Amino acid sequence: MELNILELKEKYIKFEIKGITPSMANALRRTLINDIPKLAIHKVIFHHGQIRDKNGNVHDSTTPLFDEIIAHRLGLIPLPTDLNMKFRDDCDHPPDEGCPLCTVTYTLNKHGPATVYSGDLVPHGDQKFRPVDSLIPIVKLKDNQAILLEAEAIMGTAREHAKWQVTSGVSYKYHREITVKKDDSDYWEEVKNSCPENVIYEDKDKITFTDDRKCKAMAKLLSFDNPEIKEDNSWFIFQFETDGSLSAKDTLDYALRRLQERFSKIRESAAIS
Amino acid sequence: MIIPVRCFSCGRVIASDYVAFVNRVKFIRENEKREPTSEEIENIFDELGVERYCCRRMILSHVDLVDEVIPYD
Repeated sequence: MELNILELKEKYIKFEIKGITPSMANALRRTLINDIPKLAIHKVIFHHGQIRDKNGNVHDSTTPLFDEIIAHRLGLIPLPTDLNMKFRDDCDHPPDEGCPLCTVTYTLNKHGPATVYSGDLVPHGDQKFRPVDSLIPIVKLKDNQAILLEAEAIMGTAREHAKWQVTSGVSYKYHREITVKKDDSDYWEEVKNSCPENVIYEDKDKITFTDDRKCKAMAKLLSFDNPEIKEDNSWFIFQFETDGSLSAKDTLDYALRRLQERFSKIRESAAIS
Repeated sequence: MIIPVRCFSCGRVIASDYVAFVNRVKFIRENEKREPTSEEIENIFDELGVERYCCRRMILSHVDLVDEVIPYD
C-alpha cells in the first residue's frame, strides 16, 4: 500500500493510493465526508428591541431576513478548528452548558446602513477563532436597523448536520492508462504538448497517457482516436476540497487516523467475547 | 433573496465567491461597455476556484433580491 500526494494546496489535495480495494477507498471517502469534527455555530441568542450605537443613535433590531435564517447562515460559516477541542457530550458538565474546552463564543454587533459580513463576528478570547473567510455576506441592514447577537460554536461532525462538513467534492477514480496508435490521427501531439506530465510511455507507433492529473485536451482524445483504455481497480486517484476550517493535509491525516481508531474498536470488542 | 452561504449539492462555500464574481462582471461592464463573454465567465470561475458545475449554477442562477425587500421592514 502506497500513498503519494500529486497536488497539495492549503484547501485542496489530490493524491493516489496503490494496492487497496474499492471498499477501502469508499471507507476513506465516507470518513472524509462525514466523520471529521469541526467547529460551527450551534446556538444564537438575538437581542430584540432598541440597539444604541456609540453616538447614542437608536436603531431597531429588525432585519430583512428572519432570525432563523440568519442563525442558519451563521451556522454555515467555516470557523478555524482546533482538533484538540472536545465534543460537548464528552465534557463533564450538563449538555446545555459550555466550557472553554468545548465551546467558542462569538458576538456580532453592526449598525445599518451596511452589509453584515462573516468577518464582523468577533470571538471572545483567543482571536485565532476568527472566521477563515471574512467576506461571506450574512444580512443587509438599512439606515435605522442594527443587529446584536451572541453565538456559541461547538464541535460536531457532518453525520449530524452539513454545517459540520469540512470537505466538499470528495471523489476517487481508478488510475487509467489510455493508449493510442500514432497513425490514427495527429491529435495525440497536442495532448502531449499541453500536458507532458501525463505521458507514461511512448515508442515509435504507440503513446500511453494517464488522466491522473487534470488535462483539458484529454477529453477530445477519447472521441478522436479509438483509444485502448486500461483501468486498474487497485490504484485510486482521490481528490477533495476543504472549506478552510482545516487544511487539506490535516483533514486527510485525521481521516486516516479515524479509520484506524474505528477498526481498532471493533477489534477490541471482538477480543472480549 | 440573499446568496446562499454554501452550494446546495456539495457544500462548498460560495457566498464570498459570488461577491467577487459580481465585482468582476461589473468591472467588465463598466470598462468595456459590453456583457462578459462566456469564455470570460469561465475564466472568472476558474480563477476563483469554483470548479464543479453545482457550485457554478449557484452563482450564475442567483438573483439578489434583498435590496428590494429592505424598504419593507
